[in-house]
Amino acid sequence: MQKILSFIKKHKAFTVFAILAAVLALVAIFADYIAPYDPYEAVLTDALQAPSSTHWFGTDKLGRDLFSRVIFGSRISLSSALILVACIFVVGSVLGILAGYFGGWVDAVIMRIADMMISFPGMVLAIAIAGILGASITNAVIAITAVSWTKYARLARSLVLKIKNCDYIAAARVTGSTTPHILSVYLFPNVMPTLLVTAFTDIGSMMLELAGLSFLGFGAQAPMAEWGLMLSEGRSYMMAAPWMMLYPGLAILVTVVVFNLLGDSLRDVLDPRDE
Amino acid sequence: MKKLKKVLAATLAAAMVVSASPVVSQAASDDVLNFGCYVYSTSFDPAAYQNAAWQGVRMGVTECLFKFNNDMSVEPMLCDTYEVSDDKITWTFHIRDGVLFSNGDACDAQAVADSLNRLYYVCTNSEDYSSAPAGYIDMASIEADTDANTVTIVLNTAMADLTSALCFPYYSIIDVYGDTTDAEHEGGYATTVIATGPYALSSFDTTTKSGTLVANENYWNGEVPYGTVNFTFIEDDTTKAMSLMSGLVDLTENVTTSSDLATLEASDAYYVSQASGVRSGFAYINMAGVLGNDALRQAVRMAIDSETMCSVTVGGMYTAGVGILPSSLIYEDENLDNPYAYDVDAAIALLDEAGIVDTDGDGIRELDGENINLNYVTYNNRCLSDFAQAIQVSLSAIGIGVSVNSTDSDTEWMLMQAGEYDLCDSNWITVGTGDPTAFLLNWYGGEDGSNFYGEDNQNGTNYCNYDSDEFDALYEQFIASLDTDERNELVVEMEQVLVNDCAVLLHGYYNSTMISNASKVTGAEISTFDYYWLSTDIKPAE
Repeated sequence: MQKILSFIKKHKAFTVFAILAAVLALVAIFADYIAPYDPYEAVLTDALQAPSSTHWFGTDKLGRDLFSRVIFGSRISLSSALILVACIFVVGSVLGILAGYFGGWVDAVIMRIADMMISFPGMVLAIAIAGILGASITNAVIAITAVSWTKYARLARSLVLKIKNCDYIAAARVTGSTTPHILSVYLFPNVMPTLLVTAFTDIGSMMLELAGLSFLGFGAQAPMAEWGLMLSEGRSYMMAAPWMMLYPGLAILVTVVVFNLLGDSLRDVLDPRDE
Repeated sequence: MKKLKKVLAATLAAAMVVSASPVVSQAASDDVLNFGCYVYSTSFDPAAYQNAAWQGVRMGVTECLFKFNNDMSVEPMLCDTYEVSDDKITWTFHIRDGVLFSNGDACDAQAVADSLNRLYYVCTNSEDYSSAPAGYIDMASIEADTDANTVTIVLNTAMADLTSALCFPYYSIIDVYGDTTDAEHEGGYATTVIATGPYALSSFDTTTKSGTLVANENYWNGEVPYGTVNFTFIEDDTTKAMSLMSGLVDLTENVTTSSDLATLEASDAYYVSQASGVRSGFAYINMAGVLGNDALRQAVRMAIDSETMCSVTVGGMYTAGVGILPSSLIYEDENLDNPYAYDVDAAIALLDEAGIVDTDGDGIRELDGENINLNYVTYNNRCLSDFAQAIQVSLSAIGIGVSVNSTDSDTEWMLMQAGEYDLCDSNWITVGTGDPTAFLLNWYGGEDGSNFYGEDNQNGTNYCNYDSDEFDALYEQFIASLDTDERNELVVEMEQVLVNDCAVLLHGYYNSTMISNASKVTGAEISTFDYYWLSTDIKPAE
């Protein structure tokens, strides 16, 4: 307990943002209990109602309660962003560590593929991939994974290159450690903090990219309660019913800011140079 | 707040219009009209394809021998008088004396015959031209009598009224310099069309689909009010509204977002002309798919509240109705009876009775052991995707799943032709040549399904596999009849058959709009037939 308190005292910012992120996660988990209406229930005659005590965030063009849709949207937006970051983290890190450690043709093949992916503007390539695969939130995650793993691969590779010739790795080799053992016990833990910080910082930007694809029609499809899609649906009504864009936009803003700041504060926590 | 809205509108519109096109509106003056509109085609050649033919007429560049008035009556344009033989096969049109093309060439009988002969020749003999003039007028010959200044058209099949058909933009007259085969004009007249309308095409950028028109100095029908018209392609209708509000354009057409339209209507600064036109918005029902089941189709029809969708969901952009043809037309559709009017409880009862129930508790009913998940193909035009979404949520309320595939119009058309849909949205001009002959072909099966579209029958026009002997018999009677009253009655009977069979899912009748800046422009009225946008009636405000 003392340890926890001292950690909190030492890392106030991280604690605050971790709590806020936890609150967002809880909102997503308990959306059923928080949302006053079914987010998919349409009452056509109640379309485009301004925010009121009945509908806190107003209603959309099909008379659906926007507050409920924003709350339920956290499930889709948050979970898909987390899945996406997990995918690029795992794929990128593993490939990067392998490329860095083995070098030679393994390195050449992995890094040339990465170079190819980087040579295209990320969002444009993601749109192309999502367009070919067909519009859905799953395909949007696949599309962004395909263009975003390279960052982790390059980072992991450079970190591995930095430490793979250190004495303790050489010592491990001469003492008979197997390659999997070296990779998992010596290399992986050493590159992990930097990659983890990057992953946390990326949650916000990945969420923005997913929302961007949905906004453009390549991600979530109607009637899904997804923030990017809701923004897109509200765009046509931004003059007469600005609440249709305002609340999903605010939801994206708040979530992205919280996860970005959480990533920054996590870097402060894990950065050994602070010690 | 209002000021803030204006500033916001100005900033957004400026950003969008500037990024959309390099042909930005020039400094406003009385002599210049800035027109923001959807430009459907990269060509003005009436032979190129349908949208190109329409574009020339819409922009006031090309004209036909006749023109539709708002009440569907026909007004003489390049032809001032005509005669017809008793068998309605031979039609002789006198071309108005003194009409000149914008380049000063005479638009006489020979020029008219050359233009029409060239249209038929290139459309028949070249794959580069996809207009289908023979689809509406089956001509045997077109000959000019230069002394009498008349053009004689001989038909292969008698037509009750050829003048209405000649209003269709395919038959707009352009100056082809006597070249009836395009031998010296390969590629057609896409950006070089010369015609008789009040405006002449000065420049047209096919990349941005924007350009400039100038007054036709030789115009035969009165004074041309604007020296220059800059037309700018604006795809998004909210952008159209904001461009108008910010002053970047003086005139725009068809703002289809109800809230934007309401904003414009509420302000005295803008004049909104709205007309219940000749267009119907509807979804084809693929009878070869799951909706071939009668009970399911009837339940779908009953579960959809078209009245609310038209008045609320699309904010009055459509008017609900029963028959597939707009009620503003001459057909007496008040006689139509809808046995499948909106009634959700009856829809549920019908499905339950037919054994179409949800046995696995997933909220979706099953037919033949499989969940019903309708493939609804739509595209973002004239509020069609709004209907699709509203129908999706309405049907899910009675346990029918719907996947909305919102795509572009070309892909939608291909999916429709391939039969890869259960519901497929469309918005059609129903009486393009003055009657619904072409439109009703959509449901005509023909002998042994000869009109069903397929890979080996690409001339077929029935894309929905609707097969009704009763409808076919009425249609055949309709096209054979030369009696106007009988034809009108047959149209209503055909509509009733479609309603009884739930053969088509009607959204409503589309209300076209033309919106102008009231302080700069006057006389901007939308025509019932939206072949006509720019005309000499649109003038600078006093």
